[in-house]
Amino acid sequence: MARTIQHRLRDEFDWPLFLVVCIIATLGVVNLYSATSAQTGARAELYIQQIYWLALGGGVAVIVAAVDYKVYERYAYGAYVGSIAALVLVFLVGKSIRGTHRWIQIGSFLFQPSEFVKLCLMLAVARYVHRDQRSGAWSLRDLIAPGALIALPLGLIMAQPDLGTALIVGLVAVSTLSLVRISWRSFGIIAGGGLVGGTLLWLYGMKQYQKERLTSFMNEQVDVQGTGWQAHQSMVAIGSGRWWGQGFMQSTQNQHHFLPDTHTDFPFPVWAQEQGFAGVAVVLVLYLFLIIWGLRIASLAKDRFGAAVAVGVSALFFWHVVFNVGMVTRSLPVVGVTLPFFSYGGSSVLAILIGVGLLMNVSMRRRAL
Amino acid sequence: MAPVELVQKAGLGEIRERVRFMSLVVVLGVFLLAGRIFWIQIVDNERWLTIAENNVLRRVDLPSTRGMIRDVRGRVIAANRPAYNVYVIPGYFPLERFTRFADFLGLNRDERDRLEARMRNAEGSRRYQHMLARSDIDRESLALIETHRAEFPRGISVIATPVRNYPFGELAAHALGFLNEVNADDLTEFAGRDYRAGERMGRSGVEQAWESILRGRRGWVRQEQSVGGLLITRDSIAGLTPDRRRDPVPGRDLVLTLDMELMRAIDRVFRGKPSGAAAVVEVRTGRVLALYSKPSIDPNTMVMGISALVNREIDENPYRPRIDKTIYESYYPGSTFKPFTALAGLEAGLIDERSQVTCTGRHMLGLGRGRRVFRCKHVHGVVSLHRALVESCNVYFYTLAEAISLDRIASMAFDFGLGRRSGIGINQETPGFIPTRAWYAQNYPGQFRTGHTLNTAIGQGNVRVTVLQLAMAYAALANGGTLFVPQLVSRVEGPDGTVIQTFPPTVRHQVHVDPAHLAMITSALAGVISDPHGTAHAAQVAEVDVAGKTGTAQVSRIVRDPTDPRRGWSTQRDHAWFAGFAPAASPEIAVVLLVEHGGSGGHEAAPLMTQIVREYFTRIRPGAPIPSVTTWRAHQPRR
Repeated sequence: MARTIQHRLRDEFDWPLFLVVCIIATLGVVNLYSATSAQTGARAELYIQQIYWLALGGGVAVIVAAVDYKVYERYAYGAYVGSIAALVLVFLVGKSIRGTHRWIQIGSFLFQPSEFVKLCLMLAVARYVHRDQRSGAWSLRDLIAPGALIALPLGLIMAQPDLGTALIVGLVAVSTLSLVRISWRSFGIIAGGGLVGGTLLWLYGMKQYQKERLTSFMNEQVDVQGTGWQAHQSMVAIGSGRWWGQGFMQSTQNQHHFLPDTHTDFPFPVWAQEQGFAGVAVVLVLYLFLIIWGLRIASLAKDRFGAAVAVGVSALFFWHVVFNVGMVTRSLPVVGVTLPFFSYGGSSVLAILIGVGLLMNVSMRRRAL
Repeated sequence: MAPVELVQKAGLGEIRERVRFMSLVVVLGVFLLAGRIFWIQIVDNERWLTIAENNVLRRVDLPSTRGMIRDVRGRVIAANRPAYNVYVIPGYFPLERFTRFADFLGLNRDERDRLEARMRNAEGSRRYQHMLARSDIDRESLALIETHRAEFPRGISVIATPVRNYPFGELAAHALGFLNEVNADDLTEFAGRDYRAGERMGRSGVEQAWESILRGRRGWVRQEQSVGGLLITRDSIAGLTPDRRRDPVPGRDLVLTLDMELMRAIDRVFRGKPSGAAAVVEVRTGRVLALYSKPSIDPNTMVMGISALVNREIDENPYRPRIDKTIYESYYPGSTFKPFTALAGLEAGLIDERSQVTCTGRHMLGLGRGRRVFRCKHVHGVVSLHRALVESCNVYFYTLAEAISLDRIASMAFDFGLGRRSGIGINQETPGFIPTRAWYAQNYPGQFRTGHTLNTAIGQGNVRVTVLQLAMAYAALANGGTLFVPQLVSRVEGPDGTVIQTFPPTVRHQVHVDPAHLAMITSALAGVISDPHGTAHAAQVAEVDVAGKTGTAQVSRIVRDPTDPRRGWSTQRDHAWFAGFAPAASPEIAVVLLVEHGGSGGHEAAPLMTQIVREYFTRIRPGAPIPSVTTWRAHQPRR
């Protein structure tokens, strides 16, 4: 057994995946250094924390990659139940910050269960897809079980409330589930139901400020001192970067505190102002490569579970990038979605690297022994 | 292979197809994002760049210093003094010490409450911005604040700003003018001149007319600021703009022709007279040595803004302090006009030295029912031109007027600059008025009578002149017929004292009259004082010979509304004039003064004139220039 692992590590190791992750992570740390340089105290040291987390996460990823993913398949539901328990625990013993319940304090570390829910739910859905014995397309009734599987953690996360994470969790799970064939009729009913439900929610279920928050990104003349402030300053940072940027550590928008939360939601505008469109293009190409490579791993996987896991991890990256970059370019509402490797966060880095480990795992085992 | 795995493998082909489709979606999605960023960064970057610059660079104005105004001796008559304004920063201010602070500033109950409310209501970034607590505090308050500074760490700041200061107060206030804050209309009207709200601009007099010279040009520096507007010193914007600073250009100084010592002397002789005006000009240059209008308003009060109450007091003052009586108001010249009538007669050949008229105290015009009687003050008996001027006989001039045409008198008056704006270049000058036949024909067709000429001949009827016009005209009589443009500004100097521009005397007009005729007039004017029968003989002074003409201008007897408190003051006494020059033999200065409602020119105005002349020739003129006072100057330009 030990011999086979060594053999795989040597011969099947996915170097492109490893390298692209290393490059993105390095750029992320470099940018974090600049983004937090305008801060004082502990915040200015966050990039060091990030390096620690990356190292720890890297180690975890190696372990995750080493264990055959059949093991994960076996324990997928267990992990799912565990993550649900953690989400419930957040409300019981969690630390409340700014009116939200997202963290559990372990020592000095704030553990954010919702980051891991993304993976656990994805694994559970993958297992469900994998175990499916049907030969034809799924009907609505077939979707009830996986629907409930997704809805439970989604509801808990929305109650925290954490709209951004709920969105990603849902999208990742749905992306994974989309590997199965669904009958057109069912699809039509779901789409129609979603449309009607959304309209009803908009008309009767939402408060005015919530609507404003969702639509302000579309309005050029939005109150830049109020609801539109973050997106506006983000646009200013990106726009003033031009082709080549203002140079490392030279983002005036960051240095003069016009950009909010540069270490979590808005690291990308710092990068865009300092490195210009050239730097932006490099980062986007790296992400594109990572996601496409993940999908390639999915298409080469030897079984449905492996494919579903690889699709799920790729979807995780894709939706994070789309929503974060969409948000900072005022193309999508500001919902608080982080940018993988660029945003600071222990739980988030760990979860992402576990995801990378899963990708590596599937990639290394694409050929049956 | 287990059967289950076979089933699972069977679906892989379809999964691969799905994944290919997903890849397409991913590529499309990332390209859309890249396109969006390309639009922001490359296509539309101009606007964002501007905002980025304005975010971190705040243009802080560097005010220029307004130029000073000096008199002919170099004495400062308009300068800048520091006004100390106290600001509070609510976010840092210890409110429990507010009462103490308010005591230091000497705020009253009302002001206290308002300031405290403003400080309490300040929100957000406003809590850390300067809020004006009191402007222009006195030295005592300043000392208190400075002593107890430590009790309000970072909570208060005292900022000195330059404020216009007029050391001579009311004196020459009309000619100097004053400043006050620009208003919204000015900002629109003078949009191209870069005024800012809060800035002060010249409102009248020299301050207004020479605004562009005195004002200078504001500078600015672009300072970095953080999101709250707090200035920071770190320099991290090398990539944004090289254009960081423009030095202010200080305004230029003006040296006037006015002599404030002479102004003071005039003010002294006007003591006891509530209202009047005087002008003194150099006969051979047209330089204005004094322009005096009484009562006046201290421009220092105007600079800081005056209260509605004071404003009303000024408006209701019957002696009209706002009016510049030297150039803005016109009066009947009365007998001071006679020399010009006489010259017109001499030039027309209608009279000469020997022409005589018998004065019976009255003059009949016309016959029968249309006959009108024109009176003289005395029965002068047989009078020549010389005596007619010395004793101010109206009958002589009535007789002359019957023979001469109105237009000949008018033309002579125009030649001497009467009825036309003198061109002094400040304030709104009134042209006065000299009636002509054409004017009567146009406005009163068919109504012109010889009586109009008679009234004109003695400076009544429709003739209106200003004090300054008359001074320029008498200067021309004294210098052989050269009419100058009155000159108020002699030169422009840089802030370091270098002369930038000097203005030479400007001749407006050369009057072509027979020098012998002029000599007859001037000798008669000398007689007015020196001759024992002269109307101003009582005013004669030993030190200097004065020539001139007394005048008494009738006040139009308009019945005013007695219920109107502002207009009900009507004083029925006539205005007293004296117009002349000195020394009589070789004239240097022309002096015209008017005592409003003074009564007789001989009794009321002439003594004032001779005292002024005596002061000037014995004390003021020979005196060495008094050194100028050193004046505080804000914001020396940094090199």
